[in-house]
Amino acid sequence: MAIGRSAVMAPVPSKLYSDDVSLLMVLLDTNPFFWSTASIPFSKFLSHVLAFLNSILLINQFNQVVVIATGCNSCNFIFDSSSVPANPNLENGRMPALCSNLLQKLEEFVTGDEKLSKEVLAAGIGSSLLSGSLSMALCYIQRVFRTGPLHPQPRILCLQGSPDGPEQYVAVMNAIFSAQRSMVPIDSCVLGAQHSAFLQQASYITGGVYLKPQQLDGLFQYLSTVFATDLHSRRFLQLPKPAGVDFRASCFCHKNTIDMGYICSVCLSIFCKHHKKCSTCGRKRQSSLEG
Amino acid sequence: MPQVKIIAKNFMDMVASLPAMKLDALYHNTFICEAILRSLPPLAKKYVLQMLYIDVPVTAKAMEEWVLADGFSKHRVAIDRLIQLRVFTETSDRKKETSYRLNPTFQTNLQKHLIYGGVLPREPMPSNITVRLPSLDDLEAYALVQWECFLLQLINSTQTEKLTNFSSSLMKVFQRGLLTQREKEAPRLTESGFQFLLMDTNAQLWYIMREYISNSEERGVDPADLISFLLELSFHVTGEAYNINTLTEFQRNTIKDLADLGLVKLQQGRKESWFIPTKLATNLSMSLSDTSSRKQGFVVVETNFRLYAYSSSKLHCEILRLFSRVEYQLPNLIVGAITKESLYNAFENGITAEQIISFLQQNAHPRVAERTPSVPENVTDQIRLWETDLNRVEMMPSHLYDEFPSRDVFDAACDYAREYGGLLWEDSKKMRLVVKAEIHLHMREYLRRPK
Amino acid sequence: MPGEVVKRARYKTSVKDSGVAGVLKMTEDKFVFMPNDPTSSARLDVEFRFIKGHKFSKGGSNKPALLNLTQDSEKGGGYIFEFENHPDREVCREFVGKALAKFSEASKAGSEQSAVKLFDEQLSTIEMERRIKLLREDSELQKLHKQFVLSGVLTEAEFWATRKKLLDGNTSRTSKQRVGFKSAMISDLKPLTDGRTNRVTFNLTPEIIHQIFAEKPAVHQAFLNFVPNKMTEKDFWNKYCRAEYLHCTRNTVAAAAEAAEDEELAVFLKHDDILASEARRKIRRVDPTLDMEADQGDDYMHLPDHGIFRDGSKEIIDPQYEQYRRTLSQDLNRHAAVVLEGRPIDVELEDTRTVAEALAKSKRVEAANEKSDGSVTQERLERISRMTEIEDLQAPRDLPFAALCIKDPRDYFDSQQANALKTLGDTLAGSKQIKCSLSTQEAYGSLRGFISEIKSVGLSDPIVKPDIALKVLNGLTQNISSTKFHLGKNPQESVLDRLPIITKEELLHHWTSIQELLRHFWSSYPITTTYLYAKASRLKDAMSQIYPKLQEIKESVQSDFRHQVSLLVQPMLQALDAAFAHYDADQQKRSARSGERPNGFV
Repeated sequence: MAIGRSAVMAPVPSKLYSDDVSLLMVLLDTNPFFWSTASIPFSKFLSHVLAFLNSILLINQFNQVVVIATGCNSCNFIFDSSSVPANPNLENGRMPALCSNLLQKLEEFVTGDEKLSKEVLAAGIGSSLLSGSLSMALCYIQRVFRTGPLHPQPRILCLQGSPDGPEQYVAVMNAIFSAQRSMVPIDSCVLGAQHSAFLQQASYITGGVYLKPQQLDGLFQYLSTVFATDLHSRRFLQLPKPAGVDFRASCFCHKNTIDMGYICSVCLSIFCKHHKKCSTCGRKRQSSLEG
Repeated sequence: MPQVKIIAKNFMDMVASLPAMKLDALYHNTFICEAILRSLPPLAKKYVLQMLYIDVPVTAKAMEEWVLADGFSKHRVAIDRLIQLRVFTETSDRKKETSYRLNPTFQTNLQKHLIYGGVLPREPMPSNITVRLPSLDDLEAYALVQWECFLLQLINSTQTEKLTNFSSSLMKVFQRGLLTQREKEAPRLTESGFQFLLMDTNAQLWYIMREYISNSEERGVDPADLISFLLELSFHVTGEAYNINTLTEFQRNTIKDLADLGLVKLQQGRKESWFIPTKLATNLSMSLSDTSSRKQGFVVVETNFRLYAYSSSKLHCEILRLFSRVEYQLPNLIVGAITKESLYNAFENGITAEQIISFLQQNAHPRVAERTPSVPENVTDQIRLWETDLNRVEMMPSHLYDEFPSRDVFDAACDYAREYGGLLWEDSKKMRLVVKAEIHLHMREYLRRPK
Repeated sequence: MPGEVVKRARYKTSVKDSGVAGVLKMTEDKFVFMPNDPTSSARLDVEFRFIKGHKFSKGGSNKPALLNLTQDSEKGGGYIFEFENHPDREVCREFVGKALAKFSEASKAGSEQSAVKLFDEQLSTIEMERRIKLLREDSELQKLHKQFVLSGVLTEAEFWATRKKLLDGNTSRTSKQRVGFKSAMISDLKPLTDGRTNRVTFNLTPEIIHQIFAEKPAVHQAFLNFVPNKMTEKDFWNKYCRAEYLHCTRNTVAAAAEAAEDEELAVFLKHDDILASEARRKIRRVDPTLDMEADQGDDYMHLPDHGIFRDGSKEIIDPQYEQYRRTLSQDLNRHAAVVLEGRPIDVELEDTRTVAEALAKSKRVEAANEKSDGSVTQERLERISRMTEIEDLQAPRDLPFAALCIKDPRDYFDSQQANALKTLGDTLAGSKQIKCSLSTQEAYGSLRGFISEIKSVGLSDPIVKPDIALKVLNGLTQNISSTKFHLGKNPQESVLDRLPIITKEELLHHWTSIQELLRHFWSSYPITTTYLYAKASRLKDAMSQIYPKLQEIKESVQSDFRHQVSLLVQPMLQALDAAFAHYDADQQKRSARSGERPNGFV
């Protein structure tokens, strides 16, 4: 039992959190096609978001922020406040250290994402890999859950501009249900011209906030007023609520968004046409209809 | 951790009780803004963020729109706190509508912080001037040694040689509440004193700091300056050297005291002298809320009542000595035994069995801490039994009643006393009963009452 | 009515039968027949709710005294008892009459009882009770049940087959912890002055009244004594508020003066005697398992000079008026005691009188329990041992998760609304659908350009212009308050709540009925038996009856809602159409086939 003294006396870092300690997972849409048409320049957008992240880290020293870039071809972690110790030496007085750090990683990510892209001229903006980044965020959160009972309260914030990709329907819905099950709210801030049915459902199902800011040059205000609210405070505050939620599903066969379709009575797969045999589970004949 | 009863006042209350002028002046310092923001209740933090870029007053009504019925009391607490700390200023217009706006100094400082990031309170000295800078480990060890010396002196002022430069009057201030001194007797640790020793370092530090600040005026120091300096100090980088000449006169005096506590290490170069903040200093603002961290344990208790403590700390030895017989000490090991006598000694000092057991459990060495129970059951049971041993006879002032005129009166009197919970003993044959002294008056009144 | 009747009687299966001699015992809810011969199988134990009626023989000395408890009016079967004499029979007849009257009343309230019984004679009583309970608790379910099961569209078994979940999960859903009072003090009941006149308004809600009763037994007692005999409820509360007002102005002299004149007012102003006598007993009864919530946000301890509404200023004690003075600490302590006690009654907080009486009842029960203090302590200990977990006996703690479920089916309507919005938005967006003409390289290039721009320039300062920030904040605040305004206080309310209440209820009702019918309709395909065939056509008929009703609703609403309603109705009609189409197609196939094989079924 010879244990060195220094080991004996070293204090273990504190793991007791007060009520509002949050883990904020930010999913950043980096679809270049969207940003080239967006009504707010990407640099301006980043400026708002970075200030917001900074403010989250400011209000509680135990708060943790993780940023995942959602590209067209790949997703990756570009910032994690827990692994980057706030080293003031890096602060150049021009920009918080976290920003230069994040921007560096973001640039690398964009370059990597470009390399993966196939040179096909898409007609529209195309979608970004929301399902991928959602899954990464949930995995990260699961890991945090397993660190012990005193983990920060996690939530996901999607800053999404690209339109929904119907082909991701199943994956996104799976991610949403898994978030619901682990009680992680998904907040959505939609920057594009259209509403996102995926994110409407995500926020609705997980109890998060869905918001489509009207005034994009006041983005920081939206972020700090609505999305900075920690889960503890949400029990006492009324946050914006959308007028309605688009619950429409995509069919599994053609990935079209449909109003009414056929559902396999065994595996609940959705099809836009009547099939003799369910392509998911192989059971013959589906007959139910959904509205 | 045992419940910290002795901390009645939060550090932020001290800040809040400063006069308005001084409080406003404090906010010129970005670090104080940051520390204050972090100490606020969650809702208040959110309110500050959402007001960060608003430069006109926002009506209270508009803010209340957001509050759900359940959250109203929390909203009140948050707003009150903000106003009290003068982060929000309250104005009411002619229609008596209340509005709030963010303290402009506070606001600008936070805005700057968000955009440009934090700036260091002062530039560290270039490494070519400073020599013999301690490593981070050394610095931490230094801080702990220094802190323990102080604690030792605090609890045991008669026995130790003078280790710190605190004046005895200041030491008395620190000891207030922790020690009792009866005439011609060695000062003894009070119950809260024992609890104080069991707190983690940060909590202890804040307790001492609070005493230090509340006493500052007597020493001719402005508490506001002291608070601001302490908070600023906590934003320095651990292990870096800072020139003492950048400090003001009063700060230089203070830093000597802080060095005694182990918050900074002072070093003297050829020309310049500098101070090096330790972890104790930089943790100050982190631990503003009363969160406590746990230290790794060091005590192993065996079923034969022997106790091994892997520690070379004199302080630990002193704590153990409070309830056990220390037999011998090796360089990193204290060996003792829990005996009836040693425990009686502890009980006499007002330490309870539960406190001792929880101390042993909370400081259990990692090897035994994994087991349940971490302290053998026969030992904990015996400690409890010995304590109850002492409580076999309980003295209680009381009154004896006898010669009741009739059985009815006697029974009624018994019932009456029972109802008041004051019946101690009754002998129905001889019609005698004993009641607690405190209900004697009621009893007398009752018995005199005409039936 | 006496609790039970015991008479000698002979049990006969028919009038001619000689019968079995034994003892008939009737209690409020059932009758038991014990034959004298213990080996006889004619033992009976029947609940009155299965008894439809009773007949009896004419009272003549030579005729046997018969009593026939009929089980079912159609079947005519029943239990016939022959009594030794007519007076015995009369006693039993009267008893049965009363018992049956009681049950028919009960079953009128929930006709579901007889319905449940009608179809599933073999159900266990527990099962049946569970169903009845479900129906009673869920008025929507009861409506559906009435509509389809009692009208014969669905059978009882069919109806419940789709709701097995409800039947299973129901029992385990009792909550572990009791709900306590809010920890807010009723002293927060602050008078509102309007500034112009000297009028002072107090706002009393049933919840507050409940709390006042609980915290101030004297007021409670006074209420029971005075209302409504001596004064109206309104007068009572006026008086109470007057007393409160005197307290909060801390005008002890005025209080004493008024109390001297008005004895009822004095009740409120003097110290509460009942309280004092109760206090000692109370301490022993604190329930440690009560759920009390408080966190950092509730922390008033660290707020000097704040949060104390009443006695913030120093008090001057004048012994003469001592009894008219109340300190804040007294109130605080009393409040704390009541909170610790938990909510003693669980009645709907609507009628003050009922609340007062229920509270009084629970107090009496408590007092009775107090006598047998041992059992109370025992119960408390049991509850504690249930609640406090013994750590090493616990299963490893899993991560908490929420069960997946569709909470409220009416959310469906929200989606319809959104669809409408969406189509609206799509057309708008469609017009300005910007074709992204950049090549991949250009697009990525410009994105990188933006990043390097911010890297070199830094964050824009200020991030938001104050006027824009204010505009956004005001917009959001307006959004919040308008949601509150539109949808009422409850954030959970939906599009439906904007419609007139009748339309809303009708829509919801039709929607749930259609759902129910469609579910059964589709589940009966493919049709393999005549039973299913009959069921499908039965369901189709029921659905075609609803169809015109939907049209009616659409036309009946006012023009400003018509669009919304038709949006909501449309998908219902579509679903029905699809069902009809399927039915017709199936029918055609069937008739074509039956043409080939004339001997096929149906």
